[in-house]
Amino acid sequence: MCERNPLYTNPKPCKHLADFKLRNCFNGYDSLQNCLKTTPSGRTRVDKHNTKIPRCSFCNGSQGRLYMCLICSSISCSSHILLHTQSEKGHEVAIDMERSELYCCLCRDQVYDPDFDKVVVSKQVKDLPGGKSNGFEACRGRSSKRKRIDSGIGLDLKKSKLLISMRDRRAKSCYPLGLRGLNNLGSTCFMNSVLQALLHAPPLRNYFLSDRHNSVQCRKRSGEKLCLLCDIDALYSAMFSGDRAPYSPAQFLYSWWQHSSNLASYEEQDAHEFFISVLDGIHEKESKMLNSSKDDGDCQCIAHRAFSGLLRSDVRCISCGFTSTTYDPCVDISLNLDTRNLSPSDVANKPIKPADEKTGVSTLSGCLNLFTRAEKLGSDQKLHCQNCQELRDSSKQMSIRRLPLVLCLHIKRVEHSLVRKMSRKIDQYLQFPFSLDMTPYLSSSITRNRFGNRIFAFEHENSDGCAEYEISSVIAHSGMLESGHYVTYLRLKNQWYKCDDAWVSEVDEGIVRASQCYMLFYAQKPLYYKANEDLSCVRISPRRDPFLSTAGCSSNAK
Amino acid sequence: MSVPNPNEDNSELSSHFFGDLLDSIIVDVASECHRVAKLGLDCNLEEEEEEMRLSAQARADPGNSGETNSKYVVDIFGQTHPSVATEIFECINCGRSIAAGRFAPHLEKCMGKGRKARLKVTRSSTAAQNRYSRACPVSTYSNSTSTNRLSNGTPGVAGEEYSNATYEEP
Repeated sequence: MCERNPLYTNPKPCKHLADFKLRNCFNGYDSLQNCLKTTPSGRTRVDKHNTKIPRCSFCNGSQGRLYMCLICSSISCSSHILLHTQSEKGHEVAIDMERSELYCCLCRDQVYDPDFDKVVVSKQVKDLPGGKSNGFEACRGRSSKRKRIDSGIGLDLKKSKLLISMRDRRAKSCYPLGLRGLNNLGSTCFMNSVLQALLHAPPLRNYFLSDRHNSVQCRKRSGEKLCLLCDIDALYSAMFSGDRAPYSPAQFLYSWWQHSSNLASYEEQDAHEFFISVLDGIHEKESKMLNSSKDDGDCQCIAHRAFSGLLRSDVRCISCGFTSTTYDPCVDISLNLDTRNLSPSDVANKPIKPADEKTGVSTLSGCLNLFTRAEKLGSDQKLHCQNCQELRDSSKQMSIRRLPLVLCLHIKRVEHSLVRKMSRKIDQYLQFPFSLDMTPYLSSSITRNRFGNRIFAFEHENSDGCAEYEISSVIAHSGMLESGHYVTYLRLKNQWYKCDDAWVSEVDEGIVRASQCYMLFYAQKPLYYKANEDLSCVRISPRRDPFLSTAGCSSNAK
Repeated sequence: MSVPNPNEDNSELSSHFFGDLLDSIIVDVASECHRVAKLGLDCNLEEEEEEMRLSAQARADPGNSGETNSKYVVDIFGQTHPSVATEIFECINCGRSIAAGRFAPHLEKCMGKGRKARLKVTRSSTAAQNRYSRACPVSTYSNSTSTNRLSNGTPGVAGEEYSNATYEEP
């Protein structure tokens, strides 16, 4: 289901390549090593003589594609390469000199061989400044730093609060537990929307429902009257109690304002800002309790265990290729909207006609591509290259070293104009998938791509986690910059629910797809499916037996 | 070789070179895509297309748009709710009975707007915030401490110490 092992398929060699390998073992490639030259941008060419221009041995031309025979090293252009094969028996495999790709002259197609790629990569590593450490990571397991992705935040049914929840006759047990409206306390839809998303994030839900934060013990231990975690715990108890009347998170608001006093004001605020603030509050409190001060990458507080990932930033000198790499933990990824696909009329903010949809739609993968694209830094931002020992033009590229259990993607919908000193909201539609594969954005994929996608185990592949995600909740924004409204769409057991403050309704997936997304919460596939299972097996029944599903409601209609 | 018209010859030459360059680039891209396809690095194309199709279909349906402010009659539990929440409870700070929908404005006044009483908390939360250092795709090394929030209230409240590299909106 989730295993993609390996991340690439090893294509079967054609008969001619297989024959070549049999006849020449590894000698065929060894002599090549000295001819390969890698440019700072990662491109590898065949360059035998530094001074002479390679020419076709038949027509003496030097234009077009040139191929060098692996057996006799003679060079032919694409028009004459077949002639060479016909005149010399057994000279069937050549190498494209421009890109260092194997070419089978008889199949007339590019072919692939892991042993060849290995040779190329070894040369690339040798050529680039900084040697092995330059942009590559050791293949051996980084087990010392590796965090167990399955950090054991499963739902502990024995301790589950659901066992002691009230037997509310109004439980309406056909609907998933925890589905409940939140009253708007006065411009607090930004808070309600994020709370709904957090309440149903599987790791958080399991943690609090399994009573991992016990309020009684907490108060005894700290003696403090206010604890954000206790309030979140109380929120969970209330929301999963079975009571369906909308809940007023007043205590939580009070507690949060105490924590983030700089945000404590009655006005419309930013949901993303609130999200960060809550996670920060959880982290702070748990760090105090656990008395630990580990850096965010290894922090074991529930906020980080659920949302924390690791971003990698590579800054490469354009002149020599020397790469310096830094890692930064993150709890979410903020994405700029990809406006490149749009036709001019879209940029001017006119409504998109249905006809433009095929060509002019911004997509989430477009935004992620933009995020991980190698970007040339301006010449006013020259950086000091350790290899060249002076200021050089550089390019920067982001990638994801480690993915979190729950991936929060934040879409930047505010555009600032320095000229006009104004900000405006970007209402542009963003297409997002329900199933998201993050593999192309991993550091391993980005690094591999930079060196020509060779068949080679570059880094420790992301084998300690899944790169496939399912959408779990969507926070959508509508309206203007200063007076808008947030709603949350929750996906529980394949049915979408819309949480608009106190109003909870069932909606079609089409409405969610068409909504203007602002924050997207994706859960790792195994986690998502397990969470759905948990939802179905823990039900309130008259006998308080958690495994007895209520008759007639065991499968949701849709 | 005779050169009848120097200009013409030059433009032919430049077309020739341009054509060569273009061919080279095209073959480059083709070679790269060939490798990607053969190695199965793009095996999700079908799923991606399906998602795009479903999205387009959803957007084309007029019933799916502009529904945020549609009037609700009953929610799924059969309940109705007023536009301003009327549940009454006691304020945690002062003990007065407040309606839920008016709780936030009351609490703000009750706690003292923009209070700096918990500076200690703010400082440590800022420190933790800095360590979140969400990397900006725009190329800077340090986190920009722009407090570019727009609020419809007074500007003084928005955190002067709140170093957040994102663009916020209410």
